[in-house]
Amino acid sequence: MPESTDIAIVAWGMTPMVRHTDQTEPGLLRVAIGQAVERAGVSRQEIDFTCEGSCDYISGATFSFVQNIGALGAWPPKRDSHVEMDGAWAFYEAWVRLLHGDIQTALVTGSGRSSTAEPSLIYPMEMDPYYLAPLGADPATLAALQARALLDAGKITERQMAEVAARSRRVAQDNPYAQVRGDFDVEELLASDYVRDPLRRHDLPPISDGACAVVLATADKARELCERPAWVSGIAHRSEVHNPALRDLTDSVGTRDAALAAGLDLSADSIDVAELQAAFSHEELLLRASLGLSERTEINPSGGALAANPIMATGLVRIAEAARQIIENGRQKTLAHSTSGPCLQQNLVCILEARP
Amino acid sequence: MARTVETVIQFPYKRSLGPVFGEFMTALTHRRILGVPWGDKVLCPPLEWDPYTAEELTGDLVEVGPAGTVTNWTWVGVPTAQHPLDHPFAFAHIRLDGADTPMFHAVDCGSPESIEVGARVAPRWRAARVGSITDIECFVIGEEPVTPEADGGGAAEPVTLMDYHVAITYNNPVPANAERSVEAAGRQVLLGQRCPECGRVYSGIVGSCVIDDADMGPDHEVELPQRGTVTNFTIVTPTQYPGQTETEPFSRCMILLEASDVVLSFQLVLDTPPTDIRVGMKVAAVWPSPAERASAGGAGGGLVGWMPTGEPDNSDPDLVNRIM
Repeated sequence: MPESTDIAIVAWGMTPMVRHTDQTEPGLLRVAIGQAVERAGVSRQEIDFTCEGSCDYISGATFSFVQNIGALGAWPPKRDSHVEMDGAWAFYEAWVRLLHGDIQTALVTGSGRSSTAEPSLIYPMEMDPYYLAPLGADPATLAALQARALLDAGKITERQMAEVAARSRRVAQDNPYAQVRGDFDVEELLASDYVRDPLRRHDLPPISDGACAVVLATADKARELCERPAWVSGIAHRSEVHNPALRDLTDSVGTRDAALAAGLDLSADSIDVAELQAAFSHEELLLRASLGLSERTEINPSGGALAANPIMATGLVRIAEAARQIIENGRQKTLAHSTSGPCLQQNLVCILEARP
Repeated sequence: MARTVETVIQFPYKRSLGPVFGEFMTALTHRRILGVPWGDKVLCPPLEWDPYTAEELTGDLVEVGPAGTVTNWTWVGVPTAQHPLDHPFAFAHIRLDGADTPMFHAVDCGSPESIEVGARVAPRWRAARVGSITDIECFVIGEEPVTPEADGGGAAEPVTLMDYHVAITYNNPVPANAERSVEAAGRQVLLGQRCPECGRVYSGIVGSCVIDDADMGPDHEVELPQRGTVTNFTIVTPTQYPGQTETEPFSRCMILLEASDVVLSFQLVLDTPPTDIRVGMKVAAVWPSPAERASAGGAGGGLVGWMPTGEPDNSDPDLVNRIM
């Protein structure tokens, strides 16, 4: 008889996110996984399925995820999988795997040492190989085009962008894992120079090293391992056209479609906390509007990606933070968002809830 | 902060262009810009398929531009090595006259005050054009394309391939265990680590047991035997690609160290034709001379390779399975 296929997050772990660490990527994963399995109260050997998100281009080694398996405790041999994407998509795969109902627990990771090389030189390699990559189309440039589209359409202001950055850095002071934190004056932020007009330094994410791990379990096991599991009530992702020149950059249709597919009722105003993977300040404003989130929803109490951006883990951190809000902070319903590709090309939405 | 090792990885991609990209790139060498009919619109730069429905776009390519209108822009104050210009410039979305979608490209216009949405721009052509989006060096403000005086002219044959070469520099910290391993190699010692919990012995630098996650440091180090047996091997016949330095077939062997469970991967057996390498062959470690060590800079763990000892082979039929 298969287990009930209700699935919940029961534990999480993450490293402090820093500009540069001497830790190897498997070393970072050992820390994050060690925390996660300890919180769950299980050994690495008891985990039924593992799935990791990481990127060879970031680490500069082919099959680098094979090294990372050393942090998983893969003996006796395990069911294991890997996605060359943010750990949020590894989370999606683990959720799908648990839906089969024949296993009870899964461990998901996301990891990256962005300090190993220059992300602005690596990212163009994932762009359209004919028309964008040869020009060195870097993420800050493409994000700046989206910001200008939003500004020109009158949907956001540079002041609102600076307010997002100031709020992120302020709340990050309460997050021991965050990297960029402190009290910043919006007027002073607005007086600084552009890095990519209309983006200023505060509108851009930091470069971060770090890893995150999450333990998932099916219904009975979840209740056994966690007093207040964060139940996955829905998760979905949607991809749009790659080249930003061919998209309406003033909306994120894919985010909204993913949220609807994950079961979000846009009119219900039911989300207590949303952790959005907005690596650029304007993306938070766009995502908030695309999801129809009201003032009632607290956005990125962790500080979000503007406070720490460990590439390949940033999205999974959003899921871990949204789960913490239920497991530890007594919230009822939270939303996590992750993204991949230029200008929010592909978006994942995960809705978590507490259950009696 | 730990010492770091710098590695430059080159990605020398060669791409087939196919009918639509090929015709577009060929036209660029002739200083013409083409778009593809897309319903009642024109898509430029052209694609083989509708980006929304994936239907094949079958219409004949049509000439657009060369001038166009800026629909969006940003300013790059500090260009990267991959950018098309080495001084400050704008990246922009440019809708060429006759096209309905914008093209992403650079605009060389001196300062951000010189560009705005609605600005008119035209291409500045590269003198030596090969069939690449970078045949357009950039756009400039105004209606008139700029062609260099010593123009190289268009391609005589249709362009069917494009090169994309990127080099990324990586700096990896050297873990403390690895430093000690390199130091030991300088003393002609092969270092391993024994897990304090499960007793498994690992070669070199792992730092933690992959089975039970126990930390391993200087207290857990052991000297590994320097004689062993080939358990398995492969012969690599090198294909030539950019950066390939090998020209002749060579071996990569798995070597089980004597009186241990440690198998070293991908080792080189010296002074032996690849066809003579066999499972069960007994070998001994060969260290570099002091002069060789100085020139190698301590890289690669220190060993030159393994020399056959001439002892009788190990005939254990299960030996071939020992690859880890």
